[in-house]
Amino acid sequence: MPGFLEQYLALVIFAALSAVIAIALLVAPFLLAYKSPDTEKLSAYECGFEAFDDARMKFDIRFYLVSLLFIIFDLEVAFLFPWAVAFHDVGWLGFWSMMVFLGVLTIGFVYEWKKGALEWD
Amino acid sequence: MYQSIVFLPLLGFLIAGFSGNRLGARATEIITTGLLFVSGVLSWAVFADIGLGHGQASAPILSNWITSGGLRVDWALRIDSLTAVMLVVVTSVSSLVHLYSIGYMHEDPSRPRFFGYLSLFTFAMLMLVTADNLVQMFFGWEGVGLASYLLIGFWYEKPSACAAAIKAFVVNRVGDFGFALGIFLVFVLTGSVSFDAIFAAAPGLAHKSVSVFGFEWDAWTITCLLLFMGAMGKSAQFLLHTWLPDAMEGPTPVSALIHAATMVTAGVFMVARLSPLFELSPVAQGFVVVIGATTAIFAATVGLVQNDIKRVIAYSTCSQLGYMFVALGVGGYAIGIFHLFTHAFFKALLFLGAGSVIHAMHHEQDMRNMGGLRKDIPFTFWMMTIGTLALTGFPFTAGYYSKDAIIESAYAAGAHSSAATYGFLMTLLAAGLTSFYSWRLVFMTFFGSRHVTADEHGHAANDDHAHDDHGHGGHTPHESPLVMLIPLATLALGALFAGLAFSGDFIGHRFDEFWKGTVAENHIMHAMHEIPGYVGYLPTVLMIVGFLVALWFYILAPGTADRLARANPVLYRFLLNKWYFDELYDVLFVRPAFWLGRLFWKGGDGRVIDGLGPDGVSARVIDIARGAARLQTGYLYHYAFAMLIGVAAFITWYLLGGVR
Amino acid sequence: MYPLSFSIAHALPETILAVGALLLILVGAIRGEKSAPLVAELAIGLLTLALVVIFIGAKTTATVFDGAFIDDQFARYMKALVLIGSIVTLILSRDFLRRENIDQFEFPVLVMLSTLGMLMLTSANSLISLYLGLELMSLALYVVASFHRDNLKASEAGLKYFVLGALSSGMLLYGASLIYGYAGSVSFPGIAAALKSGPAIGVVFGLVFLLAGLAFKMSTVPFHMWTPDVYEGAPTPVTAFFASAPKMAAVAITLRTVMVAFPNITHEWRQIVMFISVASMALGSFAAIGQTNIKRLMAYSSIGHMGFALVGLAAANAAGVEGVAIYLAIYLVTTLGVFAAIVAMRVQGRSVENISDLAGLSRTDGWMAFFMAMLMFSLAGIPPMAGFFAKYYAFLAAVQAGLTPLAVIGVLLSTVAAFYYLRIVKVMYFDEAAPAFDRAPFAVRAVCAVATALVFCFWVYPAPIVEAATNAARAFF
Repeated sequence: MPGFLEQYLALVIFAALSAVIAIALLVAPFLLAYKSPDTEKLSAYECGFEAFDDARMKFDIRFYLVSLLFIIFDLEVAFLFPWAVAFHDVGWLGFWSMMVFLGVLTIGFVYEWKKGALEWD
Repeated sequence: MYQSIVFLPLLGFLIAGFSGNRLGARATEIITTGLLFVSGVLSWAVFADIGLGHGQASAPILSNWITSGGLRVDWALRIDSLTAVMLVVVTSVSSLVHLYSIGYMHEDPSRPRFFGYLSLFTFAMLMLVTADNLVQMFFGWEGVGLASYLLIGFWYEKPSACAAAIKAFVVNRVGDFGFALGIFLVFVLTGSVSFDAIFAAAPGLAHKSVSVFGFEWDAWTITCLLLFMGAMGKSAQFLLHTWLPDAMEGPTPVSALIHAATMVTAGVFMVARLSPLFELSPVAQGFVVVIGATTAIFAATVGLVQNDIKRVIAYSTCSQLGYMFVALGVGGYAIGIFHLFTHAFFKALLFLGAGSVIHAMHHEQDMRNMGGLRKDIPFTFWMMTIGTLALTGFPFTAGYYSKDAIIESAYAAGAHSSAATYGFLMTLLAAGLTSFYSWRLVFMTFFGSRHVTADEHGHAANDDHAHDDHGHGGHTPHESPLVMLIPLATLALGALFAGLAFSGDFIGHRFDEFWKGTVAENHIMHAMHEIPGYVGYLPTVLMIVGFLVALWFYILAPGTADRLARANPVLYRFLLNKWYFDELYDVLFVRPAFWLGRLFWKGGDGRVIDGLGPDGVSARVIDIARGAARLQTGYLYHYAFAMLIGVAAFITWYLLGGVR
Repeated sequence: MYPLSFSIAHALPETILAVGALLLILVGAIRGEKSAPLVAELAIGLLTLALVVIFIGAKTTATVFDGAFIDDQFARYMKALVLIGSIVTLILSRDFLRRENIDQFEFPVLVMLSTLGMLMLTSANSLISLYLGLELMSLALYVVASFHRDNLKASEAGLKYFVLGALSSGMLLYGASLIYGYAGSVSFPGIAAALKSGPAIGVVFGLVFLLAGLAFKMSTVPFHMWTPDVYEGAPTPVTAFFASAPKMAAVAITLRTVMVAFPNITHEWRQIVMFISVASMALGSFAAIGQTNIKRLMAYSSIGHMGFALVGLAAANAAGVEGVAIYLAIYLVTTLGVFAAIVAMRVQGRSVENISDLAGLSRTDGWMAFFMAMLMFSLAGIPPMAGFFAKYYAFLAAVQAGLTPLAVIGVLLSTVAAFYYLRIVKVMYFDEAAPAFDRAPFAVRAVCAVATALVFCFWVYPAPIVEAATNAARAFF
């Protein structure tokens, strides 16, 4: 049983070190830093929105658009990694399948470009 | 020839019915009347051949109508002496009424319809009298009923006419129901509906009994009573008489043709035709006498106080029909038919004369508003007088021969039957009453002073058909046109001389040669001649008494009648209201029927059938529909909730019920 | 392992639609908004091409793409129905979208993509391909539902459909996971093989969730709630699309799922199907009575008709499948005809949707009234209209399977439903005339006329449909 736990010793040390560093970094500013607080600095986030407000507020649809478009290509990359790793095994079928996939995505990209979805104004 | 007699009126009806509006009223009148006259002439030829001459009776079969199992019904025209008499009566009166109607109806916009109906009636009546079997007779029977209904309700804008038409039809249904049952019973007993076969089989079945409601009845008695029930309805006999006075709502020529001369005598004809059956049942005969005698006296008493000129004659008709049945009941079938024959002439004459009066008075029918018309319409006055003389039995007129013969035969039969004695007394008394009310009619109408000068009051009281603008100006009574007077004169001839001319054939020494056995014979014809002499004078005496009383009441001492009425208000009202029969029937039958009908309608159909059926179901459907529509709230979370509930319900179902 | 070309050959209609849709996006994207008519015509052409391919293509049964995709007579039959629905939708939408000023080239492309999803769904032979097809179909449908995005009702319709569709997809996925977990396979034959020994409660739960998801797409009670709102809110040609093609695909995949994957637990799924069927018939019959909007009425009508079709499915025999196939074909034709008539309901350039607007149509436009009346008679199931035979086959199958009570309930409820169909006829023929409609374009009138002719003439020559349905049913037995 002790032998079994010994295997996790390194993990415990790692966790402990992380905790120490994190706490040190959190505590240090309270002791050392120069403070000049204002409301914006004290609010929870600073992404341009009120932190405590009605959730049904209006904001620019372009935020969504950008994030959605980002996700598509993000996922594309996520799909490309395993394909690249297994490239030798999937053969020509796998290669052309990915090409078709990329082609479809490209068509979508052309569409969004032409539609002006990428222009902020 | 026989076929043309029967079918020419049908042809007239078809022409008038289908193209009357295209041909125009005048052409329709000429066609239908002309066809009827041809038919009438042919009928007289047949009468001369079969009745007066030595022509053989025959019953040519036209075609088969029904063949079903043992039932075989043919269309056949039976022509024998009895039929010949009826043919003459029907076609003569009908053709004269057609002619008369041309004048009487000349203001009516729907004359083609009227003449079509008249011809249809004539056809149906001829089918009835030429029937060779009970079913064909029933066909004609119903046909005349239909035509009667249509003609009583001819002025269908008048609610009273419609009501009268319905009443006539419904009351006749009661009688027809009995008639139909009688036919069924005859078929059950003899296996046939053909007259020859029935008469051949009937004597062998005498004293046979049938079980009805658990009682054993003599078969022919029950049959004859049922058949007689039909006759009672059609001939407006006591208990089923209520429709006839109301039927006077129809145009007057209709009253003359249908409700005096022909259709109402169908019952008489039927009993005479079936005389071999009635001969087998003394009970039924007695019943016929009692009903006939009661009708005769009842109608005569009511006739005494009526003020509507047509109603007086209608009750007179009712009464005279009672006479005929008395004759039939005592076995004097030939006498009954003879009275039918003569009565047709003088009663049609009286009705047409009354029509002429009404025409002259611009559709005024109340005798109290008449008076002194003798000078204005002398021809009509003389015709009415002749009719009255014949009706009351003035010596050597038509009524004298036939009516006295009835009274005498009843007396003769009284030796063996108390019913016949009752018949004798009643008919004798009724003869006096007949004389009184007939002369009362003449006196009130033609003598005295003008009670009301045909004014607006009389006019407005009659919500009649279009006659407001016929430009007679001044409303003075005026003599009718020639086309109406010719039929009157013709009928007057019949009323005067029909008795004199034909009594020898019908009831006299040529009896056997004339009838050739078409009506049952018995001793009554001989017994009639052996009655005491004074009996023969009694009717004449009573006739004179009646005349004198009427003369006293209405000419010599006017106002006596009113005083008498005031002195006996109960009796007067009893008579005026026709023995309260309408009220009695209203309470006994009409109201319960309405009540029952309403119960079935409102309760049975409305509440139960509709309530549980269509209405209830549709109401529930609407409830469910509303509920279902309310489920659709429009809220997204409700929708999602419904889906989740659905899944949860399925899961629960399987959890609780287990899997298999 | 078949060569790829073999697989592609059996998925040729899908391939055509997929490639075609992508190309049309390019065309539209490059040529801009004015390309809409061209794209629409090309889309109709491509869909028609796919239909032709189905008719003249291979008549064999083949399972391709590693068992995920099956091409059999049933799939081909249903695909033909789906494609007809899509083509007619596009035909009806041309004029309508232009008048409503929403004539964009994306619409035909979305319809094509949705149709592609339906075709895949129809041929799906595993839970994965089922889900793939379903989502492809649905995602496009969400968009077309709110295609008239400036219209409040249309937006609401699209959003509701999307949210509830997501919920139903979640249920379906959950059910699919449960089934996979208990059966150890995602392919339908694999599931069937795993269930040979009888049902496990987990599989039945999974089946419940799976059927809930599918019932949502069929819009049957109690998963129907979106239907009236979406039908009413969506542009009329889109509603026509909703009422036709996706229904075909949804019923097809439901039928294939229970017939192929769960033939060993018929007793279990039949209970669900019967409940859904009766509930749908009842709600469709009753709730429509109070409606004043004809599209809403047709929504309930479609709910009811899905219930009637499921009567055949509950029978779970060859006759039942045949009945469903015939029912769907007749329902498709009738519904498209009715929606063509509804598309034609325009007064002075404005689209109207109330039943009262139809009043006196017989006097203002006798032919349209006649078409509509005949189609209503067919929907009500009055002989000799095709709708009568549709119900006849479905009920016949139920009776043969010993489900006489179900058939009796169906017949009774169909009489209730007849009320509101006949009411429309009454309104058209006996009510005071409402303002006359504008003259509808030829294509719309033609669709109406052809649909009427078909439902009218079915009894004369039913053989093509009946034979095809018989062959389709043979795919499972």
